[in-house]
Amino acid sequence: MADSSPYGASSPDGTSSPIANTNSSPIPSSNGGQRQPGRSGRRYPVAGSPIISSSQGAYRTPLSSSRHQRRQATPSTPATPISSSDAMGLSSDAGDDADAAIDGEDADSTPVFVWGTNISVQDVNAAILRFLRHFRDPQRASDGGSNGGVVMEGKYMRAVHRVLELDGGESLDVDAHDVFDYDPDLYGKMVRYPLEVLAIFDIVLMDLVARIDPLFEKHIQTRIYNLKSSISMRNLNPSDIEKMVSVKGMIIRSSSIIPEVKEAIFRCLICGHFSEPIMVDRGRINEPTRCGRQECLATNSMALVHNRCRFADKQIVKLQETPDEIPEGGTPHTVSILMHDKLVDTGKPGDRVEITGVYRAMSVRVGPTQRTVKSIFKTYIDCLHLKKTDKSRLHLDDPMDSSNNSSGVDIAEDSPEYQDKVDKLKELSKLPDIYDRLTRSLAPNIWELDDVKRGLLCQLFGGNALNLPSGASFRGDINILLVGDPGTSKSQLLQYMHKLSPRGIYTSGRGSSAVGLTAYVTKDPETGETVLESGALVLSDKGVCCIDEFDKMSENARSMLHEVMEQQTVSIAKAGIIASLNARTSVLACANPSGSRYNPRLSVIENIHLPPTLLSRFDLIYLVLDKADEQTDRRLAKHIVALHFQDPENIIQEAMDLPTLTAYISYARKHFNPILSDEAAEDLTSGYVEMRKRGNSPGSSKKVITATARQIESLIRLSEALARMRFSELVEKRDVTEAFRLLEVAMQQSATDHSTGTIDMDLIMTGISASERIRRENLVAAARNLVMDRMQIGGSPTRVVELLEELRKQSSMEIHLHDLKNALATLMSEGMVVLIGDSVKRI
Amino acid sequence: MVGLPYDCVANPHGAVRLTFEKAVAASQDADSVAALCGKDWGAVDLFRMFLFEEDGLSKVPILNKSSLPWIKPNTLVRFRGMVQDMLGNELYIGAFKDGSTWRTNKFTDVACRPIPSSCQSFLWERRLFVCVPVPGQNSWILDAAPQVVLNSYDKDDASQHGEKRMRDASHDAMELNVLDEMDSSCSKKQREDEHIFQSCQSLVGEAVLQGGMLENRNNLGESSFSCLVKAYDLPESHLKLNDVFEFIGIYTFDPELVHMSSTDDSSFDLMEDVSNQLPPNKVPRLHCLVSRKLAVQDFLSGSLALQPLPNVMSDIRESLLVHLSALLGNDTVAAQFLLLHLLSRVRHTMDVIAVGKLSLNLTGFNRESASVFGNQLNDIIMELFPFSKVIPLSVEYLNNAVLQPRKDNQSGRLVTGVLQLAEGTHLTIDETHLQAGVLNSVGVENARLLKNLMEWQTVQYDFEYYKIEMAADIQMLIFSEGKSNILPADMILPFRPESFVRVKKASTEELQAWRWYLATVKSLHYSNGPQVQQMLEDEIVAAMREDRSLGYKDLERVLIMAQLLSASLGERSVSLEQWQKAKELEKLRKERLR
Repeated sequence: MADSSPYGASSPDGTSSPIANTNSSPIPSSNGGQRQPGRSGRRYPVAGSPIISSSQGAYRTPLSSSRHQRRQATPSTPATPISSSDAMGLSSDAGDDADAAIDGEDADSTPVFVWGTNISVQDVNAAILRFLRHFRDPQRASDGGSNGGVVMEGKYMRAVHRVLELDGGESLDVDAHDVFDYDPDLYGKMVRYPLEVLAIFDIVLMDLVARIDPLFEKHIQTRIYNLKSSISMRNLNPSDIEKMVSVKGMIIRSSSIIPEVKEAIFRCLICGHFSEPIMVDRGRINEPTRCGRQECLATNSMALVHNRCRFADKQIVKLQETPDEIPEGGTPHTVSILMHDKLVDTGKPGDRVEITGVYRAMSVRVGPTQRTVKSIFKTYIDCLHLKKTDKSRLHLDDPMDSSNNSSGVDIAEDSPEYQDKVDKLKELSKLPDIYDRLTRSLAPNIWELDDVKRGLLCQLFGGNALNLPSGASFRGDINILLVGDPGTSKSQLLQYMHKLSPRGIYTSGRGSSAVGLTAYVTKDPETGETVLESGALVLSDKGVCCIDEFDKMSENARSMLHEVMEQQTVSIAKAGIIASLNARTSVLACANPSGSRYNPRLSVIENIHLPPTLLSRFDLIYLVLDKADEQTDRRLAKHIVALHFQDPENIIQEAMDLPTLTAYISYARKHFNPILSDEAAEDLTSGYVEMRKRGNSPGSSKKVITATARQIESLIRLSEALARMRFSELVEKRDVTEAFRLLEVAMQQSATDHSTGTIDMDLIMTGISASERIRRENLVAAARNLVMDRMQIGGSPTRVVELLEELRKQSSMEIHLHDLKNALATLMSEGMVVLIGDSVKRI
Repeated sequence: MVGLPYDCVANPHGAVRLTFEKAVAASQDADSVAALCGKDWGAVDLFRMFLFEEDGLSKVPILNKSSLPWIKPNTLVRFRGMVQDMLGNELYIGAFKDGSTWRTNKFTDVACRPIPSSCQSFLWERRLFVCVPVPGQNSWILDAAPQVVLNSYDKDDASQHGEKRMRDASHDAMELNVLDEMDSSCSKKQREDEHIFQSCQSLVGEAVLQGGMLENRNNLGESSFSCLVKAYDLPESHLKLNDVFEFIGIYTFDPELVHMSSTDDSSFDLMEDVSNQLPPNKVPRLHCLVSRKLAVQDFLSGSLALQPLPNVMSDIRESLLVHLSALLGNDTVAAQFLLLHLLSRVRHTMDVIAVGKLSLNLTGFNRESASVFGNQLNDIIMELFPFSKVIPLSVEYLNNAVLQPRKDNQSGRLVTGVLQLAEGTHLTIDETHLQAGVLNSVGVENARLLKNLMEWQTVQYDFEYYKIEMAADIQMLIFSEGKSNILPADMILPFRPESFVRVKKASTEELQAWRWYLATVKSLHYSNGPQVQQMLEDEIVAAMREDRSLGYKDLERVLIMAQLLSASLGERSVSLEQWQKAKELEKLRKERLR
């Protein structure tokens, strides 16, 4: 009962450490009880054997029983030979004043060992005490000195004091990393023999507290967390049983709270005498058969008094593997977690948590009446500590949030494996060809031009979001529109991006509507084609929203996107209330040209056929056009053939694998918020002015996408994203140059005729730009001369075909009708002629 | 010693025990037993030898719904099925020391004798799988499966006992022979074991019969049959969800477990073993000794021994094409495309791309023609593929069907959906019944699932808090009136039957030849050398020059077609001739689309 032996906590009449609650090994307790007979210093308020009802046959470390017997017989001699080296080393260390005092108090002259191990109780006791007293946070140690010369108390001493002051806290969180830093040997013992070491830990803590405040009645539990390594659920195996483990997963179910009797009180129905509290012993209460009062002694008269019994909370939680740990073609594993007392209800279904606890096994009883034990075991983890992780490490949330939370580095990030990863990523970022390497790594098996992939890469990295104190905010998300002929691999690219981004949404614009949830199947009455009107467009906050068939999207759904893409909110009006929800999403849309194929006769805007207001919200608009040069064709052919014929294993690419790529992106997004350097800013301004000039050049029609103020924002975002790719905090000149280049390439601007707004298809098709330009200029000149010669100002109109024939006669080169039309259009913009239908009129 | 001291089929535990004792005999210390953890000590080799080298396979009865009541527990059985769910690992006392001898519990559910309360023991683990008959399996694979004489296991309970006893006696006698060198008390104990088993068996009979009757009453189909496979020492990657496997192992049945399944401790429901929901009297346990992944070839009847010679291949191809075009009302173009479609499979996946798939959408059906031609096609597909399914797509179906497999976190089981299919299953979707209508959220989700399966060959499984995409390899054929925009296929071909003649059913020999042909072509390993690749690259470039409107997808399609055309003749690499032919076919198709 009044037991302060080192084993007390795990003894049936010990304390309520969570381990003891499910205690399975009565051996150490009886052992301890014998070892320190009559040590009746303190009486712990919490008592009772917290054994769960079915732990009957709980698994015991093998080899235990025989030794156990021997030990009981000869309690004063150590059962295991001392492995002197480390044990002695430790005890000699223990010469510290206070520690020695406690040591002396506790120890017999002979060392006591935990059975089956070479753990000396005294040594562990001393080691724990030393740790608690003297451990100082290395990070804070430096400022500890400046603290007026007063030697700061150790981290955990302060924590203990805090617990005492608050009076409510019943547990002390101990960072396993601290234990490891201070005493790796203790850490090793703790992980290997958690039941025993934690019991000692509790006792030490108890002693410590009693010293500080003898009146403190509560029991303080030790909660270890943040082990050096965590194990994947599917790798838990029999060798981990009775070891301290840490697993990550998602809670999928939790039971209701189960009250568990710890201490029962009986009352005699005849005389009303209350029995002494009876402890639960291995899941059973020994009901007294007769009244304890000498005067009564009635048999079978004792009844349980429920409201005087003591109960403790218990809960069983199911933890399931998170998707990233499941191998291909597997289903997630689950494990049961047993929660006690304060841990009950700390996690709810759906939470991602990291559990530190002791892995245990419990045999399955065949039936309630049968005591025979099957050979099968149920396993569970006795939870010591629960930490909500929220997200797996490298998919950390919010990359683009403008609120700067650089203050606290997450503890989880201190782990060496994480550091390793980060170091590797940093190394990668130093490579001179990192930009190309990233480009190569993005969807290596999907055919698309590198420049398109570069744009998508920028989208993944994103720019900086900016919230000005004035309330104005600038988005950091980059929106991209891909316009191209059907049958290109746009959809595949979209699907890939959707897979890559953690909270991506993939939707088809066809039939999406902003309002209502009704979806329809419709059938074209003429062709019999079936179409799915898919209903609501779902957007994700902080993710990439991939919209296929953007052109097929209904008008009102698109209008919703206006708000999403600029303000990054969605407004919902219902019952007179307008709610504005965050929708910080980057949009990746793809559309077919309006006439199903790109029509070179029409201008870019006419081909895309989307409202300019919406278009201007896309940072990059890619015209994915067929470029007919030999080189591209060859590359496309190579790509297709390789995709189909090469053994997937044989492809050695100088590219990162997908996990590295995502890790790289997440890390960059989380840690780098590049700002513009002065040089870069200058370049931006001058470049922008240049662009505007081009757009406003005399004679240009309004069909050219001209530079607007939005475009300079886009350029900033793009260059920020490019700087992020290098893990740089500064946007440099080259980033700006590349951003300009991307913008130009995307719009095929180098191929756009600025006077007509059409893209010079011939230029794209053949790639001979210079000579073509000359040819065209010649044609314009020839046409001009012809008009001047043949037509009077204000005279009767001439048919274009006639002009064409005339020209063909004159010159040696071949002239197509549309060439001439182009030339005439140029003349028209000069104000020389007007086109009326098929006829030309000079003015 | 002549003859085996045990009967691998009737008393596999004897063999397991014997080999274990042999392995342990050398040294009785704990370390040597501990070393056996996660390893085979020769038992599996023994069974392998028996099954594959001594032709014991044919003696092993097949476990299925109809044979279940007649198969005795603790005997060797075979089971063919699809891994439907993975239940995780189970820990058990693998070895324990009973007095001075080590015993093992491997390959059994219950310890053969009570485990002493305190003894040296080792915890080992095994993996649990729930296996079901492959969804959509066609009747011919059952006929084709090697018939095993359901030994003389009589239905009569009494005679069963008598026979069993006789058998046991003879076994024991044999065992005694071998075990002479071992102490006789040990073998006596063994004999006692046998008796324990025996007493179990009488219980089994009753329980199984009851179970069987119950199921009969509920009139559950073959699909309700499932088997809990306990696998030992398998590497993690050996088995994947939806794999089709053959397990040969020990069927166990423990009457004690039947009684316990009703008891549920409410406070511990969360700790409850998932397998408790699979009552042993309905779901047999199989302790797997040997397992192997099955390919389509394994379902063909073995009698047919054809060599994949070019002329044989082209002959069979020709006859199949003739049959198909007859079924399609003499539309030879459609028949060609259909053949290519039937031969396609997902070769590999790269990122999100499933390379090699070739889904076909035959348009131009109306209700009448769909019922006529569609049914004929379905019939032949059922005869050709080991596994196939037909989905009559309608708004009601979309709104109500459970297509998506879903994890039920309450029970811990994966609840199957229509789209949980084994690799290589053929899926026909008849869209002609689809009328305009309103879809509910389930309908939208189902339509999305089908589309994703079509485009990316993945099925999303719902795990309540997250979803996991599982790769699939399902050939999809769609009948529709106009082009289906719900299910965008790789090839869209307007179907133009010239006439309708009722085609006489193909003969068994023909069917067998065709099955063999499909399986052989599908499993053909392509090897295209650098020259072929270069040639194809040149051809692709040339094709692009010729017709600028050819997009990436068109070229890819022609390439797959050329590949399948070559393969259909048994060639491993693409020839220029087949490339040209593929282009021709594509041209014909495009003309029809106009």
